Amino acid sequence: MVGTPFTRRSVLLSAGATAIAGTLGLPSIAWSQSDRFIVGALNPVSGAGSPYGPAMQASIVMAADEINAAGGAAGRMIEVIGEDTQSAPDAAVTAAKKLIEVNKVDAILGTWSSGVSLAVMPLALAAGIPQAVTSGAPQISELDDKDLIWRFNASNVLFGTAFAKAAAAFGFERPATMAFNNASGIGNSEGFTEAWTADGGEVVAEVVYEPNRASYRSELQRVMSANPDVIVAGSYLPDTTILLREWYQLGGTNKWIIPGWAFGPQLVEALGPDVLEGVIVVDSISNESAASYDHYAKMFAENAGPNLTRSVYSTIAYDMMITFGLAIEAAGPGASIAEINAKIREVASPGGTEVFTFAEGKEALKNGDINYQGASSRLDFDEFGDAKPDFAAAVIRNGELVRSEVITL
Amino acid sequence: MDFALFANLAFNGLIEGAVIALPAVALTLVFGVMGFPNASTGDVMTAGAYAAQTGQIAMAGSIVAGVIVGSVASALLALVFYLCVFRFFQGRPSMYALVASIGLAFATRSTLTFFLGYDQRVFPIPLTRAFSFGPLRIVPSDLYILATSVGAIVLVFLLLYVTPLGRRMRAVADNPDLARSCGISSHRVLSAMWLIAGAVTGLGGILFGIKTVITPLMGWEALLPAFAAMILGGIGNPAGAIAGALTIGIAQELSTPFVGFTYKIGVGFAIMVLALVLRPSGLFNLSARVR
Repeated sequence: MVGTPFTRRSVLLSAGATAIAGTLGLPSIAWSQSDRFIVGALNPVSGAGSPYGPAMQASIVMAADEINAAGGAAGRMIEVIGEDTQSAPDAAVTAAKKLIEVNKVDAILGTWSSGVSLAVMPLALAAGIPQAVTSGAPQISELDDKDLIWRFNASNVLFGTAFAKAAAAFGFERPATMAFNNASGIGNSEGFTEAWTADGGEVVAEVVYEPNRASYRSELQRVMSANPDVIVAGSYLPDTTILLREWYQLGGTNKWIIPGWAFGPQLVEALGPDVLEGVIVVDSISNESAASYDHYAKMFAENAGPNLTRSVYSTIAYDMMITFGLAIEAAGPGASIAEINAKIREVASPGGTEVFTFAEGKEALKNGDINYQGASSRLDFDEFGDAKPDFAAAVIRNGELVRSEVITL
Repeated sequence: MDFALFANLAFNGLIEGAVIALPAVALTLVFGVMGFPNASTGDVMTAGAYAAQTGQIAMAGSIVAGVIVGSVASALLALVFYLCVFRFFQGRPSMYALVASIGLAFATRSTLTFFLGYDQRVFPIPLTRAFSFGPLRIVPSDLYILATSVGAIVLVFLLLYVTPLGRRMRAVADNPDLARSCGISSHRVLSAMWLIAGAVTGLGGILFGIKTVITPLMGWEALLPAFAAMILGGIGNPAGAIAGALTIGIAQELSTPFVGFTYKIGVGFAIMVLALVLRPSGLFNLSARVR
């Protein structure tokens, strides 16, 4: 990490320095709220999300720089304060408290994993500031009673729907589901079953399994005795490893559909290409054909340094900052947080002029409504504040993902 | 059909029980002799699994070499814990040693994750397909796991009940002062006991890792079922701990057609509670204890 332009420490230091300078100059909060918009970049810099967090934080800073370079949003400069969730709810809550109470942030961007997002949400809702999340749990929509939570990724229910589309596209007729017993895994399975049965299909077996068991043989034998042609898993990497290994050992012949976050090089290393051959992996994809995606990819390549990797999540984090910038611009000078929050859906919904960068959007806002086409997805927030990305189904061939279908819902 | 289902469930439970039996025996040995529940047992399991996996890769993929490396490493780790920490809590309230063992558990886990990260690891063992034996579907690797577990337990029992070392160990457990006045060095006996407990614990971690994946939290997660098995079997009773582990493992799996897969863990603990209500000293009575 040391030596890259955007380490967590450098973000913190620069943000801290600016904050101190601001306080010394004019210690009134009213001043800060009309001249600056302070963003808390609360990302998984360490822990399970560490492959994504540093690039997410860097992408938020890049987007803020882009907004500031265009003269700011409605006369305000964006200031980013980075914090680490450690991919754990308790650490995330401590960091969020600090951001809200000490740094007086106006928004929290980029919480990753449902456990973390759900833990931080009550703090954001109580403080009356918007929070942008990358997490899938359906409860995030249900608990957001103030319309302050923006999900820049698909909910698990939507993932389940994409799984159903993929299963239909591959011609399966007798699916079974296996879900990890948490909000995300069960959300996936329920979304799948709902979409599949709505189209007149039948789910031959449904099993919810506990984490951290020594074996999943009994669960697998139950599912396999129903003779499914595909098992749709709402799972994570460690349990997927165990499930697929035991399924292979038991002589399973059906296919599998697994979520993108359950696949990785470790899975191939653990099981070998033979076991994985033909397994279908469904994941949300970035808005690859949009100009905003090219813009972001180019900017990331130029600024991020060699140690950061662009991902679906870093692309989402970038979109979060740009969308908030456009909402601030749309709300006009001196707008309150509530007024800015109310503009978020508006600047990224069908109907307005399609724009692909902050500068374009700022210009177009002078002439009416805009529709920001994100780098991660078209956004198009629904009534729950959830974005609607596209999905891709890929088939594992010789240990590599080979994309076969793009699924648009 | 139904018989085949239940036979397979019972067999799956037997294998799970055989894996948990090892840390349960180690827990009960330490509790019987030192008088405290050793919460670092789970993370010694984890350390054993990581050491074995590293050893296996270093030794050109030999799993036997890996098992030896892992067991020796965890035995030494347990001995170090005894010499550096637990030794000083003898004769004090057991709460002191319990809290210290929780601290050691965290320290072990943090050290492992600091150097090895959070990524899952697996033992590079070729996958085998299951064969049919009557109604049972048996995976050959499960048979090796069962055999290893049984072998280790037999070895521990021979050490405890046949060798002079085992007799001295039981003497120290029963009455340390009397043992010392008979010329038994309790320090050497306890060192030997910790080595045995550590090796058995590590072996449990290795078998757990072979069956699943190696992660920093695997041992900690296995600690609770091992505690339950120890309590069900009667604290301080190695045979009871094994019976407890197998009972819980098999009952959990057999309950799944009735309660589903998410509640089977609850069934395991319900059985423990029920057994303790009926037999407060555990499945086996006090006279069969180590001491």
